[in-house]
Amino acid sequence: VSHSQITRLYSRFTSLDKGENGTLSREDFQRIPELAINPLGDRIINAFFPEGEDQVNFRGFMRTLAHFRPIEDNEKSKDQNGPEPLNSRSNKLHFAFRLYDLDKDDKISRDELLQVLRMMVGVNISDEQLGSIADRTIQEADQDGDSAISFAEFVKVLEKVDVEQKMSIRFLH
Amino acid sequence: VLAALAAGAAEARATSEGQLPGAAAMGTGTPPSPSGTAFEETRLHVFTLDYPHVQIPFEITLWILLASLAKIGFHLYHKLPSIVPESCLLILVGLLLGGIIFGAEEKSPPVMNSDVFFLYLLPPIVLDAGYFMPTRLFFENFGTIFWYAVVGTLWNAIGIGISLYGICQISAFGLTDITLLQNLLFGSLISAVDPVAVLAVFENIHVNEQLYILVFGESLLNDAITVVLYNLFKSFCQMRTIKVIDIFAGIANFFIVGIGGVLIGILLGFVAAFTTRFTHKIRVIEPLFVFLYSYLSYITAEMFHLSGIMAITACAMTMNKYVEENVSQKSYTTIKYFMKMLSSVSETLIFIFMGVSTVGKNHEWNWAFVSFTLLFCLIWRALGVFVLTQIINVFRTIPLTFKDQFIIAYGGLRGAICFSLVFLLPPAVFPRKKLFITAVIVVIFFTVFIQGITIRPLVEFLDVKRSNKKQPAVSEEIYNRFFDHVKTGIEDVCGHWGHNFWRDKFKKFDNKYLRRLLIRENQPKSSIVSLYKKLEIKHAIEMAESGMISKVPSSVSLSEYHEGKIKPLSPTEMENMREILTKNLYQIRHRTMSYNRHSLAADANEKQAKEILIRRRHSLRESLRKTNSLSRERPVLAFCGGLL
Repeated sequence: VSHSQITRLYSRFTSLDKGENGTLSREDFQRIPELAINPLGDRIINAFFPEGEDQVNFRGFMRTLAHFRPIEDNEKSKDQNGPEPLNSRSNKLHFAFRLYDLDKDDKISRDELLQVLRMMVGVNISDEQLGSIADRTIQEADQDGDSAISFAEFVKVLEKVDVEQKMSIRFLH
Repeated sequence: VLAALAAGAAEARATSEGQLPGAAAMGTGTPPSPSGTAFEETRLHVFTLDYPHVQIPFEITLWILLASLAKIGFHLYHKLPSIVPESCLLILVGLLLGGIIFGAEEKSPPVMNSDVFFLYLLPPIVLDAGYFMPTRLFFENFGTIFWYAVVGTLWNAIGIGISLYGICQISAFGLTDITLLQNLLFGSLISAVDPVAVLAVFENIHVNEQLYILVFGESLLNDAITVVLYNLFKSFCQMRTIKVIDIFAGIANFFIVGIGGVLIGILLGFVAAFTTRFTHKIRVIEPLFVFLYSYLSYITAEMFHLSGIMAITACAMTMNKYVEENVSQKSYTTIKYFMKMLSSVSETLIFIFMGVSTVGKNHEWNWAFVSFTLLFCLIWRALGVFVLTQIINVFRTIPLTFKDQFIIAYGGLRGAICFSLVFLLPPAVFPRKKLFITAVIVVIFFTVFIQGITIRPLVEFLDVKRSNKKQPAVSEEIYNRFFDHVKTGIEDVCGHWGHNFWRDKFKKFDNKYLRRLLIRENQPKSSIVSLYKKLEIKHAIEMAESGMISKVPSSVSLSEYHEGKIKPLSPTEMENMREILTKNLYQIRHRTMSYNRHSLAADANEKQAKEILIRRRHSLRESLRKTNSLSRERPVLAFCGGLL
């Protein structure tokens, strides 16, 4: 991430931080009006906070955002042996998976799927319809028959989807 | 409009009417008296038909009515608007009308004169564009917009002018009498890009916001610059000798015209905002102030020969924010709708005139000139965009990709402005005026029809990386939408392009002085609270408490689930599911309302936002309680305005 980007994000961080104590709390995120009408707003906010904590500092903020860096072509072949960069395809998918998987058991159960679906959908769908859609989704992904989607199955379903592009924000370049 | 047209058209008309030889000079006026000597008394007529009396308004009304009916027909087949831009339709209607008039009367139909266009038809269009311009986005990209508009237009104008002059020198084409200045003038008027058709197509292309604001902003500034250049070259053409001092005067004039116009616009914008502070007792005429002040800024600028277009744009952009807060909700809606209506009518009339005047005798066809004009327009636009982008990309944080450049270059459609400008050339100074008219019409038709229709398939072609023939699974739609929501959410957290020194300074100044002065009840509210207020949360909460929206999937559906026995679905059921999903999945919030001259697309988003907010009311209420104790902030009303 270039220097100017970091400066910019830091100034954004400080402007969000109303309490001016160097960390962001959930309320600071809630204050972003665009996020308020994002159906997945709560989940996204939660993704910033590490397990059990209520405050996130700038480092944590950047760490989460780093998942959304676009993947450069020259980076792909660079460092095969080192730790995988945060914005690799696999890590992006992991991030998305964690948004579904609330209880962190590494599986997306039908219940968790239904919750996310319900958040994303208007009021005109009945519960039964939603239930059958959720069933269908699990059926399409499930390979080992446990009626839940594990991370490997999740990856497999999305192999044709251009995740790199969908989970990249241009100006984090 | 009517008076002006009457003057222009009366002569052509009255002679053919044949009823009133005596009233030929007037056109309107005295009711027909049956011819008779002074000694013959005429009986009282019980029923008379007096067409010339109402002729002009009657015909105009018919024209507008016909175009509007055509629009209804156009939208009946719902796939058509996404393939063919509306401008094509309007031109076709115009051609039809022109054909009818020509066929009926065997001569060219009436054309408009310069006052009608510049004083009546152009301002509504520009006002519409300026009022709905998302200001924050505009200023964030102002450098690039300015660069494309000014340097790009100059590049196009001079490039086309000089190359055409080169072509004219070749005596084989019979064009040697067109001077360099005339060519430059022609070049400047044909580089006026009118992206209305492209913007209509943009909604289907899913172009990113940056690109959208670039094209939009470029078109506005571009119009102003074209008009300035046009007037400049026109006066040059009419001067006998041109000294060096005149060229410098021209350049200075350019700047004065632009900046002067903007200043007038800003001044009147503030006055308008101030006026609306006191209008709460006379809500009914609130919209009138908006229109009057904008139009006043336009004609005041025109009075000083400054750029009226810049003035009205600046006025609209300035008063936008403040007026929105001062006027009532209903007035605000009225303003928006009335503005759309006016600009729609204006544009309709212009395109109809275009169609009408295509059919007629004021043409001169010259293969070389016309085809080279078209060629040079395309070449210089593409070159210009390419070269300029290379330079400006150095200064931008987010560089423009090849696809962006292609869209900008290919989307350079010509339209109403260049058409009007060519019609207003004084024929005394331009003996080959008819040739120019023909060339312009050909270029416009080509760009609007061919480029307008093909831009969408071409962009889709550029976009496709891997063609996936497999039938998409039901879940794929869900996943795609899921990712889009996440991405939008993270983008919102990042606050997009971050903060800008000047913008922050302006905001502080704005909060301290301007808002106090110009807005009636200026109580800074927390942004969530103001959102709530506008969404009539009481009603919403009642609806939610009565159980219409459930947050947790009901236990019934959970118990219906049989372990391991998921039955395979038939194709129709799959289709049903997919359809249900497509209809019901929430849309990504568009940060800027996509501009469409022909509609206001606010309602769907409003409903969606309401539902989401209700659902999240618990977590939001929590945060409300905590934020109320912290320092005040100003409401994010640009966002609210966009939402609502």
